[in-house]
Amino acid sequence: MTETVNNFQDWIKDQVHSKAESSFALSAELRKASLAVLNSARFPTRKDEEWRNTPLNELLTRTIGPASEAPVDLPLLEKLKQAIPNAQHLVFVNGVFDSKLSVDLATEIPAGLSVKQMSTLPSESLQRAEASINRSKLTDDNIFQHITRGLSNSGLFIELDQNIEIEQPLQILYLSSSNDSVSISHPLNIIHLGQNSRLKIVQQYASPAGVQAVTIPADTIQLDEGADLELYKIGLESESTDHISNTTVQIARSAVLKAHQYLLGSRLTRSNLEVIFDGPGGEAILRGIYLGDDSQHLDIRTYMDHANPQCRSDQHFRGIMNGQSRGVFNGMVLVRKHAQQTDAQQSNKNLLLSRDARVDTKPQLEIFADDVKCTHGATVGELDDDALFYLQSRGISQADAALMLTRAFSAEITEEIQLESLRDYIQNEITSRLDKIRVDHV
Amino acid sequence: MLSIKDLHVSVEEKPILNGLTLDVKPGEIHAIMGPNGSGKSTLAHVLSGRAGYTVNSGSAHYKGLNLLEMAPEIRAREGLFLAFQYPIEIPGVNNTSFLKKALNEIRKHRGEEELDAIDFLGLIKKQMALVEMKEDLLRRPVNQGFSGGEKKRNEILQMAVLNPTLAILDETDSGLDIDALRIVAGGVNKLRSESNAFVVITHYQRLLDYIVPDFVHVLSNGRIIKSGTKELALELEERGYDWLLEKTETPS
Repeated sequence: MTETVNNFQDWIKDQVHSKAESSFALSAELRKASLAVLNSARFPTRKDEEWRNTPLNELLTRTIGPASEAPVDLPLLEKLKQAIPNAQHLVFVNGVFDSKLSVDLATEIPAGLSVKQMSTLPSESLQRAEASINRSKLTDDNIFQHITRGLSNSGLFIELDQNIEIEQPLQILYLSSSNDSVSISHPLNIIHLGQNSRLKIVQQYASPAGVQAVTIPADTIQLDEGADLELYKIGLESESTDHISNTTVQIARSAVLKAHQYLLGSRLTRSNLEVIFDGPGGEAILRGIYLGDDSQHLDIRTYMDHANPQCRSDQHFRGIMNGQSRGVFNGMVLVRKHAQQTDAQQSNKNLLLSRDARVDTKPQLEIFADDVKCTHGATVGELDDDALFYLQSRGISQADAALMLTRAFSAEITEEIQLESLRDYIQNEITSRLDKIRVDHV
Repeated sequence: MLSIKDLHVSVEEKPILNGLTLDVKPGEIHAIMGPNGSGKSTLAHVLSGRAGYTVNSGSAHYKGLNLLEMAPEIRAREGLFLAFQYPIEIPGVNNTSFLKKALNEIRKHRGEEELDAIDFLGLIKKQMALVEMKEDLLRRPVNQGFSGGEKKRNEILQMAVLNPTLAILDETDSGLDIDALRIVAGGVNKLRSESNAFVVITHYQRLLDYIVPDFVHVLSNGRIIKSGTKELALELEERGYDWLLEKTETPS
């Protein structure tokens, strides 16, 4: 059997027209629309406002070979699990759910919670899952969302019954492996929390150094009235991995989302997070850090749609850029006309550790209601000279002082991580990266 | 211990210190007084190694070392301490771990063993009693949300823990009520010994009621124009600075 070697764009087209027998995450009906988009659409360029600061040339021209059969890095997997040792572990390898490496979905998932593979869902469940996607009022209709919807062959449908609170977090681990070609993964998850239920999910994306991969995940999340989701996303992928993700969250009346993102790895990451308030009284607390070095490019985009009154959103993202890395933050807060008594806060602060690092930040606020409380702000700066001198004047070296201040800058976000072991894990990951930066500077 | 000779310093080409000379020996307390803009804080900053000051001529030696060539952290490790006029708030850096790190850097420099968390806690609790500081301030980020008085006490606490040989107090009395002033001064008095020295920079004589100096110097236009004992401070309190300034501005 011969496999053609293609660049990314052509590879996508090939997949769209592939006649090969395979199972897909979504139904043919839902896939059709996405495949049509993939068949005709072009990829965005820097002329498209939404992608102005994030060039895709390198990704689009990457050579894609046959699917990787390289073994998964088991020691790495064990290390990742230590972030939350007491979690229920769910593992994807190259975008495909691996039941051998995961907890047993039939016997080990607690009562009231259901975790099923998308491709094995009976039609009735699939309809329920797809209803969440159909309800989704997506505003950023980007082509990568359609790649996942049209081509994904694996994913999970996570359903939590109403009034159920699950203390033990779900940790979903996405590992890429590759030998000499780029491995592509596009897992698709649908998460639905019933009324007044409560769940914690940690999603970790990782690949060993040197692994070439493209990760294009998409999650659709629906929170029913009074539900509460704590969601963490941690990016630890290799320097040869490109990652473009789409997450949409619909928040019903009085439901609460706490979503943290920690982007520490990859060559390129673009993380899109859309939140839509589908009823009054909802709450969304978004936190995140992007920490880049060398020529990493880390891009967070949030879209907060206050479509209903009396909702509160509070966003705080921080960037730390070293080397020639580039950070991008683009946060849109839309307050629709009848969304009175909206409380929307948005803050983006950035620290540049080198002369060649760069950040583009664009907090945006569009308000059509007249009784609202909204603030937004962004800063890009260097370490505070006064604080550096204060620490030095107490005997702490300049390099150590810089490390302490940079850690402190990130700690103001990480301290809000509610899961203690995860908080330690993230803070250690950040510190070890900052330590490396310091060694480089000496 | 400290020997400053004919020091000329400018900031952005504006001369601030114009030939300052000062000698401080172990066991002594020197008060430096003077009107606003006379160069008091510049002296403190230059001695502690803050960037932005250009030394045009003159010298400053500390324990025989050329102070002006040393990085700020090395000066601190050699036993120099500056109590800031405006202590800096550092969000995200815990007050206790900051101070433990500082102390251990200094101990390492002296060839002493580093203190572990338990020994350090024992030490800091003892010193906190000295400045009557509330314990919850230890768990907070450095100076963040501290009142003016709490910040100044935190400076004295740091001084007590780091146990310097030469401490420079830069207007530590400014913004303090009388109770806080007494506590801060009490801390200094308990720390003074035959082997260490203090340079107390102040605008008002008030502090010198509590910290009794061996010498009082009046700084004007970047030079010491008059030196004396503690009686000079009382005279300044009574008569102000003008009589001294006039005398120097119109030399006969």
